[in-house]
Amino acid sequence: MKLEVRNLSFSFGETKVLKDITFEVCEGESIGLMGPNGSGKTTLLRCLTRYLPAEAKALLVDMKPLHTMTDRELARTFAVVPQSTATDFPFTAYDVVMMGRIPHMSGRMGGESRKDEEMVRSAFERTGSWHLAARHFSELSGGERQRVIIARALAQEPKALLLDEPTVYLDISGQFEMMDLIRRLNKEEGITIIAVLHDINMAARYSDRIALLSEGRLEAIGPPEEVLTQETIQSVYGINVAVRRDPFSHAVYVMPSVRRAVASRHGTRVHILCGGGTGGPVMKVLAEQGYAVSAGVVNILDSDYENANDLRVPVVAEVPFSQISQESHAENMRMIDECAAVIVSPFPVGPGNFRNLEAAKEALARGMRVLAIRPTNSPEIDFVGGKANALIKELISHGAIEVKNADEIIHHLSPVRV
Amino acid sequence: MTAWSSWQRSCIRNYSAEERNMSDDKVRRVSGSEDAERLGNARKKRALYIMALLALLVTVSFISILTGTIGPIGPGKPEKISFGDAFDALLGHGGSDSDYLVAIFWEIRIPRVILGGLIGASLACAGAAMQAVFRNPMADPFIIGVSSGAALGAASAGLIGFTVVVGDFTAPMFAFFTALVTVFVVYRMGLVRGKMYVETLLLSGVAVAAFLGALVSFLIYFAREDYHELIPWLLGALTDAQWSYVAIIAIPAIVGSFIIFLYGRELNALLLGEETAHNLGANPESLKKLMLGVAALMTAGAVAFAGIIGFVGLIVPHMMRLLFGADHRMLVPASTLFGASFLIFADSLARTVVPGEELPVGIITALCGGPFFLYLLRRSRTGGGSA
Repeated sequence: MKLEVRNLSFSFGETKVLKDITFEVCEGESIGLMGPNGSGKTTLLRCLTRYLPAEAKALLVDMKPLHTMTDRELARTFAVVPQSTATDFPFTAYDVVMMGRIPHMSGRMGGESRKDEEMVRSAFERTGSWHLAARHFSELSGGERQRVIIARALAQEPKALLLDEPTVYLDISGQFEMMDLIRRLNKEEGITIIAVLHDINMAARYSDRIALLSEGRLEAIGPPEEVLTQETIQSVYGINVAVRRDPFSHAVYVMPSVRRAVASRHGTRVHILCGGGTGGPVMKVLAEQGYAVSAGVVNILDSDYENANDLRVPVVAEVPFSQISQESHAENMRMIDECAAVIVSPFPVGPGNFRNLEAAKEALARGMRVLAIRPTNSPEIDFVGGKANALIKELISHGAIEVKNADEIIHHLSPVRV
Repeated sequence: MTAWSSWQRSCIRNYSAEERNMSDDKVRRVSGSEDAERLGNARKKRALYIMALLALLVTVSFISILTGTIGPIGPGKPEKISFGDAFDALLGHGGSDSDYLVAIFWEIRIPRVILGGLIGASLACAGAAMQAVFRNPMADPFIIGVSSGAALGAASAGLIGFTVVVGDFTAPMFAFFTALVTVFVVYRMGLVRGKMYVETLLLSGVAVAAFLGALVSFLIYFAREDYHELIPWLLGALTDAQWSYVAIIAIPAIVGSFIIFLYGRELNALLLGEETAHNLGANPESLKKLMLGVAALMTAGAVAFAGIIGFVGLIVPHMMRLLFGADHRMLVPASTLFGASFLIFADSLARTVVPGEELPVGIITALCGGPFFLYLLRRSRTGGGSA
């Protein structure tokens, strides 16, 4: 099946909900339809199912205009899985799946044919829900119901499955089960999928391509790693995010970083000595409070290096897996000189980055404020045979302030603010 | 060492948990699929149930014909006759002294039983259709104003005293047309830009019914002594049954229930929501309009000739749903057949239960239907039995 959407626009009265949308979906593709609330995702889906009347010739399936199809023909083209389905009436799951055969049954007088019964059975089996067939639909759990509804959609023998946030009412395991089932149908049976998905990471993980809608326009369409960038998400959703790779699937993984608006940007400079990801929370808290944050020295590939980049924090970087060089250390000290305070995050200390602690000692010697976040006992951070712990103790005895966590820093720093 | 062994332990634990889940799943699957296997015989079962309901209807009709103040079954007053005499009369022969028995059976009893059957069938079938259109188990055939409209027609006909114009047909015709006009008004109210909104329709029905009810009360208040003639009609009664009524009512009853039966599949889909119905290829707009129109005609016909017989249209579809499930390809014929049996049975009681008096059948339907329905409801909610 090939679906073409050509310059599709749609209005509710005066309000334009979809504006000039053009894209194509190829046979066997899995498309994730994304966008903020009210961006027109569900409206686009309803135009495809003709539940809302789109302009003629805007939608073509295999070169055939959608508006020339009969209702039954359309129901054999697209099968829809809504967010949830509820009924007060005592239908069994079998009744519900048999409804999927309506567009295939011709005679009004005749009952279900042998073929209808076989298709229903196979739909149940492909969704792993045959054991639910005799149960009352209203008594099933949310996840079981969605399975049965997908079985009904399969019984329609459609060319494509349209899903409207199929996991929105499911718990986390239900969500993954549902998405795994959908992906299996897509990969193993080649069923084309067009799914409205709210969860960015779910969409990135399960879609071949993502179509991102914003205020009724198609903002971007393409593979997740091309569409889901920090800039695009910032402009469409208005939030700052960090884009990473999922460690297991290598799918794009998006997480929110700094809150949308910084309360007041007063520009007091603070330098963070960090590494191994311990600096992330500190950078976030301070940036949110309006401090001008810098960090160092971290190796490229260190998670604190990524954290600093995501938060747009200037960072003194060292090449991967190397000792802090003399140049880097000097650069670090130069940055420290411009600051009102230095913060030592509880980073793991090895021979390679021992210089970061020495930098703190030097700063203290120059009479600067130094705050050290107390390391917890586990995991052990001293990988230099006790030298690191000894140096931290020394810092504190020489006037460095010991704090418990990132939030406490704010409390101690407030006097510095001008 | 400790980390290693705890990891190992956790692996073993996970593995056995997985295995356990799998075997649980297998067990469930096996027992579940036996249930599901039975579903495959749905069609055969459906045919069997329909035959049983048909047999019930024939039996109830036959007993009802023999039941009455004059008949082998009944209070025995004013005349108890033997089964033999009754069968002779039914076959149209017997002595000249039993001519009046032939007349009682063929001119009064049999048309009355058939009329009762047709009206019960109309109300129950229309009720099933209305409940589907409104996706509301509390809907009944009168929900869009048929009964209040018909009541106004019947009351004004009685009051103005048009009885002479077309003989026995004046009041029914008045009631029939005012019922349809009311339905049309309510329908127009529920229509927004060509789309029918069932919630609006429901509320318009309630409002119009309240308004017309007030008008009927107004007429009744000024009718004073004539008011008594209207009572049996308002409570629903088959007293005036005659062959000409049967001939007229048979058309909407039979054609209407057949049409509704043909759309059983689409009605099923409609119960899961209009968008779902649309997505399954069952055009919900035209389906709703067709069902509403057919059900209104059936109900208006029933009300015109027998008054407002309550409970049948609400309760019979419910009973059938509790017994056979919600699939309309079973529910519609079952409701139609059982509605007929139920009203015939209720009318037999109405004719005989109070010696020397004939009760309006609407009282009996409410008296029998209410408690029986509650019993079924309790039984299904507490999970007992097959319902």
